[in-house]
Amino acid sequence: MSTNQIHIDPYERNWMIISAILLVLFATAVSVAAFGMGIQVPAPEQRVDPRTVATDPNSPWSNPGLREIEPGKYDAYVLARAIPSWEYLPKEMTIPAGSSVSFYVTSSDVQHGFKIQDTNANFQVVPGQVSKLTIKFDKPGTYNFICTEYCGSGHGVMYGAIIVTP
Amino acid sequence: MNKYFLNGLYSVLGFIVISAFAFKIFQPIKVLPRMQLSPAFSLVDQDSARLTSEDLRGQFVLYTFAYTNCPEACTAINDTMKEVQSRLSEVELDGISVSFVTISMDPQRDTPEALNAYAQSINANTEQWKFATTTNETLLKTIIGSGFETYYEKKEDGSFAFDPSFVLVDGWGIVRAEYRYATEVSNADRILRHLGVLAEEVRNSKGTTKLAYEAAHLFLCYAP
Repeated sequence: MSTNQIHIDPYERNWMIISAILLVLFATAVSVAAFGMGIQVPAPEQRVDPRTVATDPNSPWSNPGLREIEPGKYDAYVLARAIPSWEYLPKEMTIPAGSSVSFYVTSSDVQHGFKIQDTNANFQVVPGQVSKLTIKFDKPGTYNFICTEYCGSGHGVMYGAIIVTP
Repeated sequence: MNKYFLNGLYSVLGFIVISAFAFKIFQPIKVLPRMQLSPAFSLVDQDSARLTSEDLRGQFVLYTFAYTNCPEACTAINDTMKEVQSRLSEVELDGISVSFVTISMDPQRDTPEALNAYAQSINANTEQWKFATTTNETLLKTIIGSGFETYYEKKEDGSFAFDPSFVLVDGWGIVRAEYRYATEVSNADRILRHLGVLAEEVRNSKGTTKLAYEAAHLFLCYAP
């Protein structure tokens, strides 16, 4: 070691090395998940106008609900709203087991959340944006979905269910 | 000597990381995402001629889905198709042609003759704008539903429940944009702007700038 190098305590050096290794590990894990395994995170799909999204007849959320785009593959247009009451439209959806459902969720007023229990769906619902995530339901049962962003006094009653029939 | 080498190495690595961040933040180049492959199909058009997805390679294609007995929902779709056609000269396309295809979801009533009569009734230029369908309804559901991810379903009274949508496909047969929701900017304005972005990518993707465009895809620098 040359004399002009600064002195680093061995413990500090070890921890620096460990943190650097961790950073590389995380970066690798995220890259493998995103590009190798194709794991998707909920992303803003497209912008919409929250003032007309629920009323415009050309907007799918004027008639929210399930749409079977081919056997076993569904699009679910879900509207989260606080006016006139805190609720999801539709409140209940029934699909056969093994279906994959693409959720397109948006809000017509304030920010809401959308979490489906026992799945990895959990995202913000921002007025003016569409959040999209595709989930495959293999196991029959009832999957409740709830609002995870505090959105007002009726936040606690904001829930619904996906019923997966065998 | 070793120290200089390490310093040089760190500077180069730092420069690469900072350039990558700068590219992502300032987004000097914007592209349209490569969403998925557009479905392959073989349909019959309004002149009873065969229209396949391969015939439409090498040009930009705007697809939409409708049926001729459609009460009023299709008027807005046709208006958008016509507006984009009439304003195409506003976009610098560099000789890349743009085709328009309306796929009918009602093959029972929309025979080639019916499609032709419909095209005449709305003054469509059938050189550029094709109306097509196939009598194989299972296949049609797969093309429109699974391929273009557009919902439609026949109702009891023979009319259709469907979500109006436009799908923009590039010359390689890759879906580059979908228009499903009403936004503040009209669909026609967005489609025209996106056609310009696509043509610019084709024009500039040569030599080293091609790498810059690939970087824009990698860093998700998407045009709004």
